[in-house]
Amino acid sequence: MNFIMWRARNVIQIVLVFFLWDSVFSDPDRVVFGYNRASILTYVFGILIVRAFVLSARAVDVAGEVSSGDLSNYLVKPIDYFKYWFTRDISSKALNLVFAVFETILLYLLLKPPFFLQTNPLYLLGFVISVILAMFIFFVILFITSAVPFWMPEVAWGAQFIVVMVVTEFLSGALFPIDILPRYLQNILYLLPFPYLIFFPLQVYLGKLGAMEIVRGLLVSLFWAVALCFLMKTIWNKGLRVYQAFGR
Amino acid sequence: MDRAIIVDRLVKNFEITEKRPGLSGAVSSIFHPQKKTVRVLKGISFTIQPGELVGFIGPNGAGKTTTLKILSGLLYPTSGFTQVLEYDPWDRKHEFLKQISLVMGQKNQLWWDLPAIETFKLTQAIYEIGQKEYEKNLDELVELLGAKKLLNIQVRRLSLGQRMRLELIAALLHKPKVLFLDEPTIGLDLIGQQKVRDFIYDYNKKTGATILLTSHNMNDLVDLARRVIVIDEGKLVFDGALEELVHRFAKEKIIKVYLSSQEDIKKLRTIGKIKKIAFPLVTLAVPRTTAAVAAAEILQNFPVTDLTIEEIPVEEVIRKVFKNEKISFGL
Repeated sequence: MNFIMWRARNVIQIVLVFFLWDSVFSDPDRVVFGYNRASILTYVFGILIVRAFVLSARAVDVAGEVSSGDLSNYLVKPIDYFKYWFTRDISSKALNLVFAVFETILLYLLLKPPFFLQTNPLYLLGFVISVILAMFIFFVILFITSAVPFWMPEVAWGAQFIVVMVVTEFLSGALFPIDILPRYLQNILYLLPFPYLIFFPLQVYLGKLGAMEIVRGLLVSLFWAVALCFLMKTIWNKGLRVYQAFGR
Repeated sequence: MDRAIIVDRLVKNFEITEKRPGLSGAVSSIFHPQKKTVRVLKGISFTIQPGELVGFIGPNGAGKTTTLKILSGLLYPTSGFTQVLEYDPWDRKHEFLKQISLVMGQKNQLWWDLPAIETFKLTQAIYEIGQKEYEKNLDELVELLGAKKLLNIQVRRLSLGQRMRLELIAALLHKPKVLFLDEPTIGLDLIGQQKVRDFIYDYNKKTGATILLTSHNMNDLVDLARRVIVIDEGKLVFDGALEELVHRFAKEKIIKVYLSSQEDIKKLRTIGKIKKIAFPLVTLAVPRTTAAVAAAEILQNFPVTDLTIEEIPVEEVIRKVFKNEKISFGL
């Protein structure tokens, strides 16, 4: 039931963004920020798919477990907590993907937007790799913010909310394509991990980037994946030392 | 391996932020957090042999649960040395975790929406228990705890006592060599308590597992533990046999006399402290050293039909420990 509501929320969000951009581009010949009606709508539909892969993470519950002390149940068992959640995440993503495909078809039939199907296998390969890296980066970011309650047990959701809902949604390209921002902001953003969550994979899929740009982007996101993973391990090791195993 | 558990000068401090009441208090807590260090364990030491069943007692907040959590690798000790089965618990090596189990009476690890059998299957996978061994262990545990009918019922529909029995099964499927039980009978009715108690006793006898158990329930300790460790305010105050605890503490003995007439009954007061009069039975407390003399005196001067000299019941001694009475243990 929770799951269905979550999917419904997803669809509504897409429909909202869709109509927002649809009304901006009501004149099919209008070009804003280098996007015309067809390309922006493809982008919006792309978001639906990539979101289903990347931003749908079960690991948002980790902070709650740290805060409530339910983490203890896992720590005393011979399982790797990180891998445990990663597995849960992947299985949940598979489920989400099935629904996302279904929703996309449904919305496609309803709204009849122009949609671009990538056929070049190299772009598709780049897309798959970038999405896998994006999933991993987002997962690690969640784990880092989930460590906050080690020090402030009452802030189970606060840190999560700021990072996930505000920063990530905004900077990842989930609301609007990043290349409509001023050039210098874009340059800064490309050094951060966020655009590689949604915007970059989509650009690869849409074939907007050259081979060099794709390779460079993949290297940057690989760097972030490794660096954030290292940071997460360090923070968690520190956090577990002050962990108080609440709830008796 | 001659020591299953070694604890040496274990210290644990918690840093807590104090919250002041009210909105202004909450705001000022953000800007000027008042950190306070709570010293939960102030250097306790003990060792436990393989196969021992030890009761861990003390009043609320004495540090019992904290010790168990450190020994199972949940908490990082501030200082001191701990070793369980020759591992450092904090490393949480998988080989170590596969040999221990921590059961907390107030925490449940069963999946709420699924029948317990699903949790057991997950446990089998986590602990990498072979199918044959799993079936054997499960049958054995289900038998011992009389839980056959409960396996396929959604956990949320079960009573607390039924759930506790299933929790125990989940915790023991991998046959841990060391078992930490935190209040295993809390909230259970008398029959439930007895079932769990009998089970713990049998399990210890059958498998030779080392068991460290905390409890507020006197019967748990009297029935199960030959040896008790008493801690109070983070310090170890007694470690030894249960009888010895009674011996050390009880400076008095109990004389029970059955009288044939009520005359002179008040005069018994001159011999010892009268604890209860329920004619024909009168219960007296007399100093341990003069118990024999007092008994002789009673026999001479009163119309006695029967007389016994007893130790103060263990329950009462432990109750006093729990009530946090300052006890001179002569340590």
